Amino acid sequence: MITGPTPTENTLPLRVTGFSTLAEALDYAAGGETGCNFYGDRGELYAVLPYADLREQARLLARRLMGLRLERGARVAIVADTGPDFQRFFFACQYAGLVPVPLSASLLISGRKRYVTQLRALLANCRPSIALAPPEFFPFLSEAADGLELVHVGTADAFDSLPESSEELEPLRSEEMAYLQYTSGSTRFPRGVMITQSAVLANLEGILQQGLQIRSGDRAVSWLPFYHDMGLVGFVLAPMVGQVSVDYLKTQSFAMRPRLWLALMTQAKATISFSPSFGYEMCVRRLRHDEAGRFDLSAWRAAGVGAETIRPGVLKDFADVLAPSGFNPSAFVACYGMAEASLAVAFAPIDKGIAVDRVDRTLLAKYGVASPLHECEIGSDSDKTSISQFVNCGVPLSGIDIEVRDEQGHVLPDRHAGVIFVRGANMTSGYFGDPEKTRKVLSPDGWLDTGDLGYLVDGSLVIIGRKKDVIIVHGRNIWPQDLEHLAEELPEVRPGDACAFSVETPDRTEMAVMVVHCRELDAVKQADFVRRLQGLIREYFALDCFVELVPPRTLPRTSSGKLSRSKTREEFLGRNDAARLFHGRNGSGHISLPQPGRQADSCAASSR
Amino acid sequence: MTHYETILPQIYEILRPFAQDGQTLSDETELVADLDLDSMKVMEILLEVEERFDISIPLNVIPDVRTIRDFARQIEQLTERK
Repeated sequence: MITGPTPTENTLPLRVTGFSTLAEALDYAAGGETGCNFYGDRGELYAVLPYADLREQARLLARRLMGLRLERGARVAIVADTGPDFQRFFFACQYAGLVPVPLSASLLISGRKRYVTQLRALLANCRPSIALAPPEFFPFLSEAADGLELVHVGTADAFDSLPESSEELEPLRSEEMAYLQYTSGSTRFPRGVMITQSAVLANLEGILQQGLQIRSGDRAVSWLPFYHDMGLVGFVLAPMVGQVSVDYLKTQSFAMRPRLWLALMTQAKATISFSPSFGYEMCVRRLRHDEAGRFDLSAWRAAGVGAETIRPGVLKDFADVLAPSGFNPSAFVACYGMAEASLAVAFAPIDKGIAVDRVDRTLLAKYGVASPLHECEIGSDSDKTSISQFVNCGVPLSGIDIEVRDEQGHVLPDRHAGVIFVRGANMTSGYFGDPEKTRKVLSPDGWLDTGDLGYLVDGSLVIIGRKKDVIIVHGRNIWPQDLEHLAEELPEVRPGDACAFSVETPDRTEMAVMVVHCRELDAVKQADFVRRLQGLIREYFALDCFVELVPPRTLPRTSSGKLSRSKTREEFLGRNDAARLFHGRNGSGHISLPQPGRQADSCAASSR
Repeated sequence: MTHYETILPQIYEILRPFAQDGQTLSDETELVADLDLDSMKVMEILLEVEERFDISIPLNVIPDVRTIRDFARQIEQLTERK
């Protein structure tokens, strides 16, 4: 019977340093009373897993897994729905010398085909010996694993009847992998980020000590998915390594009922919770105006923001709407990171809120110089178009070096924009089974090319955008190659006919755009084609995509004959006024279908 | 007991605000391909359906729902199971 969640106050002295493996950290946390708590889709507490029980159950399960006589370092793929079984299996792997691989547990309407395809690509990439899923996900996993060589595919329960091995447990050592994280790769060619024990512990120490300044009395709440770096490292591993109690909501429960997040924060008197900007935005959109006073968010001291472009306006709205709850805007903490860095690279200072850097837009665009503007220089509204605002993401965590480099690889001085390179003990050892992709982004001397653009100001990092192609919508990474590949499934589209990219809307969210060669001259047929293409993209990626039709041979190519995405984007923005294009958007990230006439115009306008 | 025929009009009512101007809804309408729904709006719709029919929609039925008919059939089964 469940009597209540694990306590906030611990019986054990807080310790975050000196652990060389996750298993060691759990051995220590198990000496206290804190742990994990799981809440259902109406906010009811349904499972409590103190770290002491987690350790015991994980070790028992580890002995059962060892009975399967898998080779050391064999992968265990876990469909990472939020629930206590995830933790049990993740840490069982730690004790058994196996590498856990969290897999996506995101189900979308009419998304069966897409989800099974995605799972299959991940399984094919990480070649696990074992794959398991909660019962609701098992049919998809089993379909995805069909024909692949796995020792064991099952639900979590199926493993509880395995015999225990009598051998000594041999936990993963500090130089061995801690987990494999799929994050930034495309659906067809996934990229599994390899993270060693020493890398993730170095990052966790930095996050807990320097980033969050963890202290006794802290408690975390999270609805972030366990298969994303922020959910896994930030809210499964960090609380455990810091012996902090944590309360979990399923991502789906939050998405349906955002107020559950705030209700849980209130009830738990939680001090730490993170979200991409859109999570804060959802609360604002879905709360009734008289509701804010029912929450008590006064204990919330670290409201982290990351994983996608940080939109200060959204955060201000959240703070304004939730002022009656005692929410303190200085609790906002801007962060920058990526799965390749385990999780975090830089943290804005705690208790300081969001710091915005206002720079001259023209100088930035023309010369790549982020020249600061002061309040007095920011005059009337008409001047606002010449100002760019970016959020300061703070200084790198200790042991992490950042360089901003130009196209030729020269290191740039302060306030000069370029590509961000990162190095540190927390970094990935590469992409699993893909030395070529690894070489492309990770230099022999340990510098990672993040593909992000930004500049430094007195050692703190400001992100301005991205050089790499990925489209980020609602914290999800979507690769343009996947959208183009999908378009090519339509009979009208030949390889090389479609080019996808992301365009920033006036409110700084991203919008997917695809420019497609069109040989059809009939306006009705054009409109039908656009509708089918958008339907296909929505079905596979749950994404609204703006489609522009252009005559054949319009798409620009590089000297080597490859489609130039950046040039296509530039030309698209030249043909279209982005502000007007996305005028019809409401706050939900939706765009109205382009009018058939518009499409025809754009097709005809460019045909000479 | 709720039947398919009484569920259908209620689904139309929930979905109508999400339809485009002039678009007519039928039981053949595909939720994702035909309606302008992103994943956030789908969540709002699921919430409204859960509250109106007082049911809990299990995650694993969602990927197999394509059309309004599929959706109504699922809701019918879930209400009968209560």
